[in-house]
Amino acid sequence: MRGQKRSMRATPPTELTGPGFTKDQAYALETCARCGFCKPVCPTYPFGGGFEAFSPRAKVHFLRELRAGRAELTSDWVDRLFRCTTCARCVSVCQTSIPLVQLWEAIRAETVERGVGPMPAHQKLSVFAEQTGNPYGEPTEQRVRWMLPEHQPAEEAELMVFGGCTASLRLPSLLQIGVTLLQRQNIPYTYAGTSERCCASVFLRTGQLEMAKRLIAGNIDLIREKGVSQIVTPCGGCSKTLKYDYPQWARQLGKKWEVEVLHFSQVYLRLLESGVVNPIRTLGRTVTYHDPCHLGRAQGIFDEPRAILQALPGVKLVEMEYCREEARCCGGGGGVRANYPEMANQMARDRVMEAMETGADTLVTMCPFCQLSFDLVLKEMGYPLALAGLEDLLLESIIP
Amino acid sequence: MQQLHRELRERLGPSVTFDEEVRRAYNHDQGEVPYLLMSMIRSVPDVVVAARHESDVAETLKIAKRFNLPVTPRGQASSGYGGAIPTRGGILLDLSEMNRILKIDKDAAMVDVQPGVIWNLLSRKLNQQGLDNRICPTSAPSSTIGGWFAMGGVGLGSLKYGSIRDVVQEIDVVGLDGLVTTYAGDAVEVFHQTCGILGIITRLRLLCRPAEALRPYAILLQENADLAAFLARARNVLSPYSISLKSSGYLKMRGEAEGHPPLTEQGFLATVVIPAGLADDVRVAQTAKVCGGRLLSQEVADLEWANRFYPMRVKKIGPSMMVSEFFIPEVKFQAVWKAVRAQLSGDVLGMEAMAVSNQRLAVQVYILHDAQEPLYLLRMAKALVPLRIAARLGGSIYACGMWFAAGSKKLWGEAKYEAVMECKRRVDPGWLLNPGKIQAPRMPWFPVMDLSRLIQLGTAVMAPLTRRLAGKRFRPS
Repeated sequence: MRGQKRSMRATPPTELTGPGFTKDQAYALETCARCGFCKPVCPTYPFGGGFEAFSPRAKVHFLRELRAGRAELTSDWVDRLFRCTTCARCVSVCQTSIPLVQLWEAIRAETVERGVGPMPAHQKLSVFAEQTGNPYGEPTEQRVRWMLPEHQPAEEAELMVFGGCTASLRLPSLLQIGVTLLQRQNIPYTYAGTSERCCASVFLRTGQLEMAKRLIAGNIDLIREKGVSQIVTPCGGCSKTLKYDYPQWARQLGKKWEVEVLHFSQVYLRLLESGVVNPIRTLGRTVTYHDPCHLGRAQGIFDEPRAILQALPGVKLVEMEYCREEARCCGGGGGVRANYPEMANQMARDRVMEAMETGADTLVTMCPFCQLSFDLVLKEMGYPLALAGLEDLLLESIIP
Repeated sequence: MQQLHRELRERLGPSVTFDEEVRRAYNHDQGEVPYLLMSMIRSVPDVVVAARHESDVAETLKIAKRFNLPVTPRGQASSGYGGAIPTRGGILLDLSEMNRILKIDKDAAMVDVQPGVIWNLLSRKLNQQGLDNRICPTSAPSSTIGGWFAMGGVGLGSLKYGSIRDVVQEIDVVGLDGLVTTYAGDAVEVFHQTCGILGIITRLRLLCRPAEALRPYAILLQENADLAAFLARARNVLSPYSISLKSSGYLKMRGEAEGHPPLTEQGFLATVVIPAGLADDVRVAQTAKVCGGRLLSQEVADLEWANRFYPMRVKKIGPSMMVSEFFIPEVKFQAVWKAVRAQLSGDVLGMEAMAVSNQRLAVQVYILHDAQEPLYLLRMAKALVPLRIAARLGGSIYACGMWFAAGSKKLWGEAKYEAVMECKRRVDPGWLLNPGKIQAPRMPWFPVMDLSRLIQLGTAVMAPLTRRLAGKRFRPS
């Protein structure tokens, strides 16, 4: 009763004022059916010791209590709110279609505004981005080191390659393969090179909206200067951000944004379907495909990667028990890997175990975050399973 | 208190928490109950134990007995009857982590599970062995086997296989002395619907069905169709696995929630689900026609079946929802529904009903409202209007829990009630196991009255007044 009594002595109502916490989102909070469908599917809930407070349902209840002035944004709650990969599995089962990921992001922004967030590792990302334009703190000139001599981007073109920080600085092969294919098919493309900044995904997900705003504004200007109508990127996080967040921010910033955003999987499939790219080499692999959250659930890109795999000779696809809309998260999103690496690694390990249960010899994915997450734990496990980006397999199959 | 903390920590390690924020997450279930009512009980537990093993449950109960502490068991709290809400603080025993499937006996078509196993996940694992759940609640994506048994209920498949009681063959129960006892056959009955007031269930043995495919059909029935005749005919001719009815009001609410026009402006939508091996399109169409109905496309039927676990989707246009749930004989259903609509004519209403065994329907009436609105407490009286109408016409409450504890004797019959109470006196005379359930908490300021009766009385008095409080739309445009 002590807790109950305290809750009845309400402090003045606390308005959640984080940018993005709209009237509609506040209403959506009230529609929670408390059914708990989100709890068993949440990949981070099991890391809370089995206690309800770590479930998405409890977080929604907390936000309602917070708005009503019956709860406080304590450091423990801030910590719980940041232990979410924004994988959107909760959204996919929600009875009342609450935009839960938007709510998590809004409350994280609120923690930043109140000076109680983000988490230490996230602050560091912001410092790096301030200095270098990328959250890894890599010198700006490193951003273009992935480019091969044959890559000759045009000054202006309808299509722009957006490298993204993780692919450009950590997994260059994703860009090398994609851009080489564009180059060899004489598809004109442009590239901003060292002027490209972080897409701001990690800052939007961790509530650091001021930094996000600056990065987005810079990128929007850059893209407009180039006069492009299409952007292609190899990263699930970048493509989600460019596709869904940029239009909203462009409106808020009073800038124009009329750009179609593509993920490289969509470009590859078009090239395969039009017969421009012909896989000829038999690969002899049994693969299982991991749907990146930001590509699959966020953008509905489930079929394209599978269609590409089907087009590769000698590739047999076996699905994991939880795939497509139900796919489990690799642990890499929402700033979780940065601040809670052990939790992220365990999630990646669990997903690898699920992949191994299929009997596949190769785990395939199409997002640099997922690939890096898996690589880390597979290395530690002695590579019981090979890991490949889908682009790697595509490349392997078209080389005679 | 320090001694208690030390002992719990020593015996249960990280499965115990005293953290206030974590404890507060357990002070409610699915129901949205006004704070005035909630303030009459100690709904925040003093400690939470997330049990993983039967031994965790046994240790917890032994400690509870020694320290004279109440224990409230909880599955996923996916019901709104208050059965999993503490009333005197104490220990909250979260059983959702006791979620292992212990044994699948393919030949006998039986499965042994821990109480925290979730219905849909069990179905997935049974499917791999060529089996499936005989029945499941519409909350199957989250609700637990133990929770549904302890609350009691019917669901998908209950038309063919009966209630959860009919499916559970055997249970293990841990008592306050920490000892485990196995109960089978009739001995299981006192533990069904009694919210764990007689002991904590740690294993259940369920009957399964072969994992045969099910084929849904959607039939549109006129407003004046004889629904009882339709249900009788469908039951006799089509050998259905389940039949559900939705009112046009419900379909309108759902259409608005999903952003599309309603399937119909009047009448009822019946979803008849038949084992694929017995499905006969011609016979279904004939049955529909004889009853003045029309068979809709397979696409509609498939969509209805795919949405079977999403009845609360309509809450999107609430933002809150009062739900009135009751059993009614099929032959009385239309009279009840007509009276409900007349009494609540100013409200935004929807109805969903599921045909179950013994020619009864389990009915849910949804009334839109806003729990944040100042008149919420008054409006809440409306939730009991359909129930009272049903009771007058031969219906009964659906379950007891805490809020409807006063109706337990009527729901179960005198014999079961006495058997439960006799058992309670024997195993837990101090009412440590889930106090306030089946016998609701007494009012501190008026001990002759309990919370359940207070609600019954209060809502009966307020009901005529609330008729003037016509339903509003609260959703921002």
